[in-house]
Amino acid sequence: MKEIISAVIMRAEFVVLAYFVLVNGWYLVLLVSAFLEMRRHMAHISGESRWRLLSSALSPTISMLAPAYNEEATVEVSVRALLALHYPGLEVIVINDGSKDSTIDLLVDKFALVPVRTAYDQRIKTKGVKSVFRSTTYAGLIVVDKENGGKADALNVGLNFANGSLVCAMDADTLIEADGLQRMVRPFLHSNNVLAAGGTIRIVNGSTVGAGRITRTGVPSNLIAGFQIVEYLRAFLFGRLGWNRLGGNLIISGAFGLFDRKAVLDAGGYLHDTVGEDMELVLRLKRRSYDAGGKGVIAFVPDPVAWTEAPESSRVLGRQRDRWQRGLADVLWRHHGMFLNPKYGVTGMLVFPYYVLVELLAPVIEALGLVGLIVGLFFGMLDARFALLFYLSAYGLGTALTAMTLVLEDISFHRYETLQDRLRLFLFALGENTGYRQMTVYWRLRGLWKFLRGRKDWGAMERKGFAKAPPG
Amino acid sequence: MINEAILRVVMSVEVSVLAVAVLVFLTHGLWLFLSARRRERLLKVGRESLVRVLSESATQSDRNALMRLPRNVKATVFLEISKHLTGTAKGILKEAAETSGLVAGAFKWCESISWRRRLKGVRVLAQLEKADPLVRKLLHDRNAAVRAQAAEWAAANPVPGVIDDLLALLTLPDAVSEFAVQDSLLRMGPIIVEPLAQYLETNDGRHAEIGLVLAEPLAEPRFFPAARRAIEKGGRGERKAAARLLSAIGGAEAAALLVTKLADPDDEVRAEAARGLGRMRHWPAATHLSGMLADDSWNVRQEAAFALRTIGAPGILLLRRAARAGNRGADIAQMVLDIPILRTVS
Repeated sequence: MKEIISAVIMRAEFVVLAYFVLVNGWYLVLLVSAFLEMRRHMAHISGESRWRLLSSALSPTISMLAPAYNEEATVEVSVRALLALHYPGLEVIVINDGSKDSTIDLLVDKFALVPVRTAYDQRIKTKGVKSVFRSTTYAGLIVVDKENGGKADALNVGLNFANGSLVCAMDADTLIEADGLQRMVRPFLHSNNVLAAGGTIRIVNGSTVGAGRITRTGVPSNLIAGFQIVEYLRAFLFGRLGWNRLGGNLIISGAFGLFDRKAVLDAGGYLHDTVGEDMELVLRLKRRSYDAGGKGVIAFVPDPVAWTEAPESSRVLGRQRDRWQRGLADVLWRHHGMFLNPKYGVTGMLVFPYYVLVELLAPVIEALGLVGLIVGLFFGMLDARFALLFYLSAYGLGTALTAMTLVLEDISFHRYETLQDRLRLFLFALGENTGYRQMTVYWRLRGLWKFLRGRKDWGAMERKGFAKAPPG
Repeated sequence: MINEAILRVVMSVEVSVLAVAVLVFLTHGLWLFLSARRRERLLKVGRESLVRVLSESATQSDRNALMRLPRNVKATVFLEISKHLTGTAKGILKEAAETSGLVAGAFKWCESISWRRRLKGVRVLAQLEKADPLVRKLLHDRNAAVRAQAAEWAAANPVPGVIDDLLALLTLPDAVSEFAVQDSLLRMGPIIVEPLAQYLETNDGRHAEIGLVLAEPLAEPRFFPAARRAIEKGGRGERKAAARLLSAIGGAEAAALLVTKLADPDDEVRAEAARGLGRMRHWPAATHLSGMLADDSWNVRQEAAFALRTIGAPGILLLRRAARAGNRGADIAQMVLDIPILRTVS
């Protein structure tokens, strides 16, 4: 009996090992693609002058949609930063999604808001709008106070009120760099087929913020936030950038994405009954484009940057990752008809299968591998050399790829300048695969389990607020 | 249990990849540190020399220092100041760029087989506003980014051949960034009126629509015949663009055409006509606009309401009446009356 179990565990471990080798091999392809794409991108932006966009009568108009739910700690700074973005004729729509704290009172007070009649075109059905405010000091600011309906519902209300040809969906606590929109709008200027574009999200923890702007970039000492910095760099600078060249992206971060308003309205806006509403919308836009015989592009632009606060406690981070995994599973299930469907071109044949086999199933396979390894070692069915081989295949190359992502960051945007920050980042990259990664595997598995049980709640996100720059 | 050879191979591959990554990270960091210091030093020398050249107090050693700078650093030094200069100072800068070898270097870049270099070259020449047939050739480059940059260069060189080239690019879908071409044509100013009017006479459909959009900021009466033809006989896009153009040109004839378009079967055209009448502050159309407050389309109702408020006293009077009437237009009329700061009608 023991021999049979031993053989099964051994074979299963080899399957898991082969899976890791394949996945890491594909990551290598993505990394090369990301380097090539970054090289092309840097050539495009180096020395470009964006003043034409700022002063042109032809610049596309943008409406910023900022949903806010219990954001009293950060909303003032965030809205001021939005109003100070360098983009001509910007419209800022803040949607208070039934906050239970003083978000709306704070906005009314700080931005001299006055109520105006609630009349609007409900092109997308949403929860009720309680009141609409306009600012007597900022002509481009509209604040909509509505019943709580979740982020997707709030964004749909924003879409109903928006006038811009493009809409930028974001989180109210996100800080967008002053020239972020000028950079993000590029793909829309260069092609008529662009449906949506996403920018880079970076972690604000460890950096200092003054007047809604990052005044000093830094790496936090908190381990969980530090690991997330490395994780985000890898996800954006090598994951999404690499996919730009290999068939396009399926994800645009809900914290900072620019969409063709007409395309989103035609698609019916954001779905309410999913926690992965941002990915779902992108996938639906892409699918509709294929169905219509078009070549809709989902672009990732690495240089526009939005900063967001990362959870510093494992409890909150766990809830976030669990939700992300549920969202991913839900969206992939809703659009399972695209899986290996030649009608959907490279998206159906390559990108979608990648998301299923790697992003969705990786935690299951990784967990099976780890459990099998522990059981095998405990009962003497596997030896230490196999464990070492497993570890190196699963995590060694991953660490090397992360280190290369840091090089990519260095040769491109080089945001972390001090030696101390660079070394810290490097240490986080080395340490991320031991402990932290296994925790994320657990959270993601929990998310999958909840998805299978039909849970669709968001979980609470606790915010500390931004670290302020010292006065003067 | 596991083959020793496999273990050794995998371990050595993994360890060497990791070692390479670590090595690259550390050496790249060191290189970055050293090269940044060197570049800063060169930039400082370059900037100081260029400032003396611009203030006409330069010595031969300043000119030599500029000549000796690496081409990339030289380009940075000249271009970072170029956008802030006009007139005589710009002339001196251009001359210094010639004598320092930057212009010759940019021409070499423009002839390179690498699109990155061609892009860099045309960027330098565009910002120095250097006219040359070589750059004009790049309007037809095989790389879209180079073509877009050449279009940017063209804005400062509004000669007939270049204008024709840009107008021809408008008819080639995806040939180049529409924004770059249209923006450059607009920046050329009134010189494009005649060629654009001819373009509008010979094109229809999407091409005509782009031309009409381009004509709007110029608002020349010379475009009136094309606008009238488009609004009467064109497709939806053309009618919309023509309505905007007519409101920019103004005049009784344009207003009369826009009033007729308040009955267009397409709601976007009706909305554009309403907006246009507001933009012209054409108060005789106020009663027509008031009627549009009950239109089936929200967009039309909204534009009509904004137009009435823009028109002023007669429009506001009609808005107040509509707000009290309690029909479909009441909500939007009240909303527009409530708005504390009037939206700019553009």
